[in-house]
Amino acid sequence: MVRSSLSLADLAERHRPELLAYLVRMLGDEHDAQDVCQDTFLRAQRAFARLRPDSNCRAWLYRIATRSALNALRRRSRAIARRVDVDLDGLPARVGTSGEGRVRLAAVATAVGGLPPRQRAALMLRQFHGLAYAEIATTLGGNEAAARANVYQAIKKLRAALGGSTP
Amino acid sequence: MTRDMTGHDDQVIAMLLGDAPASPALDAWLRSHAGRRELAAYQQALGAFAKIYGTIRVPRPRPTAYYCVISSPIGRVLVAATEAGLVRVSFRRSEASFVAELRERLAVEVLPSPAKTARIVHQLRAYFAGERRRFDIEIDFRHVTSFQRRVLLAATQGPAGQVVSYGEIARRIGRPGGSRAVGQALGHNPVPIVVPCHRVVAAGGALGGYTGGLDIKRKLLRIEGALAATG
Repeated sequence: MVRSSLSLADLAERHRPELLAYLVRMLGDEHDAQDVCQDTFLRAQRAFARLRPDSNCRAWLYRIATRSALNALRRRSRAIARRVDVDLDGLPARVGTSGEGRVRLAAVATAVGGLPPRQRAALMLRQFHGLAYAEIATTLGGNEAAARANVYQAIKKLRAALGGSTP
Repeated sequence: MTRDMTGHDDQVIAMLLGDAPASPALDAWLRSHAGRRELAAYQQALGAFAKIYGTIRVPRPRPTAYYCVISSPIGRVLVAATEAGLVRVSFRRSEASFVAELRERLAVEVLPSPAKTARIVHQLRAYFAGERRRFDIEIDFRHVTSFQRRVLLAATQGPAGQVVSYGEIARRIGRPGGSRAVGQALGHNPVPIVVPCHRVVAAGGALGGYTGGLDIKRKLLRIEGALAATG
């Protein structure tokens, strides 16, 4: 998606739903996601004039959204201690699982909550938003190998959360 | 982390994500007891992750107001429109405070867009040039009270280039004696010029008040008066 003659309003119309979904995944809260999305487009507005015509607008928006989300997470962790317990009912998706499956979900949810924000971002972008490692690198800064390492590290932590032996 | 890394983790992940096919060596390991166990654990972890975060409820984007800044004989004019119509006309204020006020008061996203405000901007330019007296545009009245809406609509009824008293507006909406409330409602007119509250004056011909300042009220009346003189 190249900038060409697109206005910021066009970009917002096109990409806001997926950015909102990404921000919910990053922040775990719809209200915060709305606020950070607003912040994202405010920053985008300031930077839009400097966006090169051949830029990948989508990755550019994800980069701004990620920075805004990381800032929000920093503010949040300063304001309140990070929650350790995970309330499964409060998770973004309703999970209708019981017993063993629920325990597993809770363990993975806790692990996701404990991921460093950049790893969490890389994982969400790779798994749900279809960004290539090069685009994740654009989004997070750093190179493609680092982007990939962030995704892999995150997945190793999710797997580790399930313990040494699994049935 | 209590688990021993097997040394195959990166390859297993690469295979599961579709980043790289399994090598013959990995294939062989995956057939071992440990290999099967690890593969199952990674699949469960990714499966649980997808279950929790894959199909989230995405909030509906907040509605958007698009704005544009134009220069005019009365200085800089800022206009904003939502999908429902014109929502704000402002002057004598900075772009930043205009945007901040819209975000806060209307709970909308605010983006600049000459394209989405083209119609009102075109009509305003014609108005300032003395080529247009009436505006033909939808107004988004969702953010005003029903009383204020009635007052504002009544204020659009009179002939252009002719002043009307607060009392007359009060009578038009069936509230004779409600001049004061009418004055207040007009004082908070979100779309001045388009809803011509500048044409509403005190009984006896005194100008009354104007949020934009009396000099602007005078200027607007002069623009319309000049039109009447030449037309």
